[in-house]
Amino acid sequence: MSETKEVQRRDFLGLVTWAIGVLIGAGLGLPAIAYIVGPALKQEGTQEWVAVGTTSKVELGTPTLFKANIERTTGWIVNQEEIAAYLLTEDGRNYVAMSNICTHLGCRVRWIAEQQRFFCPCHNGVFDKEGNVVSGPPPRPLDRYEVKVDDEQIFLKEA
Amino acid sequence: MSTRVGDWLDQRLGWRAVWSALFLRKMPKVNWLYTLGSATLFVAINQIVTGILLTIYYVPSPDQAYDSVQYITTQVPAGWFIRGLHHWGASAMVLLTVLHMLRVIILGSYKFPREVTWFTGIGLLLVVIGFGFTGYLLPWDQKAFWATTVGTRIAEVTPFVGDWILRIMRGGEELSAVTLARFFGVHVWFLPATLLLLLGIHLFLIVRIGISEVPEPEEEV
Repeated sequence: MSETKEVQRRDFLGLVTWAIGVLIGAGLGLPAIAYIVGPALKQEGTQEWVAVGTTSKVELGTPTLFKANIERTTGWIVNQEEIAAYLLTEDGRNYVAMSNICTHLGCRVRWIAEQQRFFCPCHNGVFDKEGNVVSGPPPRPLDRYEVKVDDEQIFLKEA
Repeated sequence: MSTRVGDWLDQRLGWRAVWSALFLRKMPKVNWLYTLGSATLFVAINQIVTGILLTIYYVPSPDQAYDSVQYITTQVPAGWFIRGLHHWGASAMVLLTVLHMLRVIILGSYKFPREVTWFTGIGLLLVVIGFGFTGYLLPWDQKAFWATTVGTRIAEVTPFVGDWILRIMRGGEELSAVTLARFFGVHVWFLPATLLLLLGIHLFLIVRIGISEVPEPEEEV
């Protein structure tokens, strides 16, 4: 009789030990997962409007390249970074801003006026004036920025 | 199901014998002071786990060390928690190691046949102090910088070889990028390797010999 009691007590203590172990493991393990994964889930990009130039520099019907320097914080390092976008307007009122980064593998595309096309030198990606893929490997049209015009000044924001 | 998996593994690994040798071994009737070693081991495991996690973001370079630590503390989810565990765990480590040593001294557990366990324990104490000393510099803030300046100066007082010890510790005349890099290297490679080696012997001997009994006043020593 007393022997069965002894075994029960031992089993109980064993179980409690395991339970505490699991609690401590979870108490450290779950924060550890958040700690490792956290920065990967963080939204990056310009959350603010960046002034890139004046509307007078945009030719009607021709994509014009604008560049601006922005500060980008990655981890604990603040970098000066250049963003570049082709601005296009057909009527001087509505603007489209296209990133000059090829959607294939990230090379810079160039506007070739004679052919009315954007060309990517790396793998012959070709885009039309609006940034749609004409030929080559790019999987989607050129990325666009949000555009805001305020008193002749053009502002961009990452969409 | 689980017993079948257990049997399958046991036939190949013999883990049940290992398990009972480690955790189901015979124990003399002892008091709570005899758990100080296990407590130290527990905190040591905490230091290893949190220390490995900290290296994911920490950069041992003078222009980035402080910022990367601030990033861990303020930006990374649970970063304050992981760093806090490592920070307070470090103090707990020193405290528990010393208390464990006092218990071993006062209750005479260092005697035959446990001398080697004791010697490795002395080594482990030095390793723990080394961890504390090298780890203290790594946040690279004012406190860290000046504590290491003073600490290495203290080592300089050693007769005859003091100047050399200071230069070897600092990696030159001044506290610099070289100092930070070598303290980091010692903290995450040299000392952990030494710790695991000594701890392996220490724990093996505890399992092999068993822990000592509480001495009785009437008993002959």
